[in-house]
Amino acid sequence: MHNPEYESLITKWLDGELSVEERQRFEQLCLEDDEFAAQVETANQFTLAAEQFEQAPVPAWNKEATYFDLQSNAPWWQFQWLPVASMAMSAAAMVMVLSGFHVQVNDGQMTLGFNRGISEKDINQMVASRLDEYKESNQLLLTQYMDAMAKQQQENGAQLTQYLLSSSRQERREDFAELVKFINQQRSDDQHFYARQINNLEQEIDAIGSTYSGLGRPLETTHE
Amino acid sequence: MFEKRDEQLVAKARNGDKKAWFTLIQRYEQPIYQYGIRMTGNTHDAADLMQDIFVSVFKSLSNYRGEGAFRGWLFKIAHYRCMEFYRRKRPQQSLDECPEQISEEDTPEIGMLSDESSKQVLKAMQKLSVAQKAVVELKFFHHFTFDEIAQQLGLSSNTVKSRLYSALNKLKLDLEVENA
Repeated sequence: MHNPEYESLITKWLDGELSVEERQRFEQLCLEDDEFAAQVETANQFTLAAEQFEQAPVPAWNKEATYFDLQSNAPWWQFQWLPVASMAMSAAAMVMVLSGFHVQVNDGQMTLGFNRGISEKDINQMVASRLDEYKESNQLLLTQYMDAMAKQQQENGAQLTQYLLSSSRQERREDFAELVKFINQQRSDDQHFYARQINNLEQEIDAIGSTYSGLGRPLETTHE
Repeated sequence: MFEKRDEQLVAKARNGDKKAWFTLIQRYEQPIYQYGIRMTGNTHDAADLMQDIFVSVFKSLSNYRGEGAFRGWLFKIAHYRCMEFYRRKRPQQSLDECPEQISEEDTPEIGMLSDESSKQVLKAMQKLSVAQKAVVELKFFHHFTFDEIAQQLGLSSNTVKSRLYSALNKLKLDLEVENA
């Protein structure tokens, strides 16, 4: 029957790894448990039998057949150059990393370098310089924009003035024309009035003349 | 004169030193052959398996990183070759399955052994499943720890312990029968 404790004790005993407590338990089981004692006895017998096992002589055999030229028969991935090449590539990679090797490609040109890259201070300087350039360009654009605005405003003002002047001149001209027309109308009316007055006066004068002719000699008058 | 360490011989063999390779073979052919006999129960299969294992080890020498003992690495390859051998020879049989009842009479290989105790051990081992046999072989004959065996077989340490414990139950019965 399988007993885990027995199995553990016997295997530890066979490996010579029994602790003091385990050894005590082992000896106790050997005395008290027949099954366990039989297992230990079998292992003992077999160990002894194995040590005394009769060694059959090795027959003559073809040892030469086990030897062949390893170098020529070894597949290509087992050649010695592969680990050497691998080591060399690893060393080269380490040198490239430690020396800050870098490759830069710009407009079809490749540049190889060993510098350690850009420091934080350099980056800050570059950023500040780029910001200054950006500010200057912005200011220039703003100035140009303001100039253009002022010029446009000036042109607009001039156009408005011109318009106002021309429109008021036209109005004045029309007003004067109206005035002249009114005056002419007035003069025409006056002339008609005076003409009627004169006719009336003539008629009165004529009436007065006929009255006088009835009284004596007619009054000589010439009408031209 | 001091013997060269396994790792030094492996390095030399990898660089084309034939003598170093044969020294390694000489050092390990006996344990590998015995491993083959106990795992296959057959001297012819054991000899074939031994050659197969050493060819495989030589091909894989470039993969040996020296992270563990060469001996452990060698037996790991031996185990894989042995499992392939079983799959090739008995494709229908599971590696966890115990073999069918074998003949009570000694096979020629067992008959070759003069020592009675060795005969009993060999017969008892042939009744274990391949998976149990591999654990018993590595534990009792090559004295690897359970963690090392687990690493070599690609299993958890607990699985290896369970397999050995169940194998001991079976071996106990067989040895008792043989002793009776």
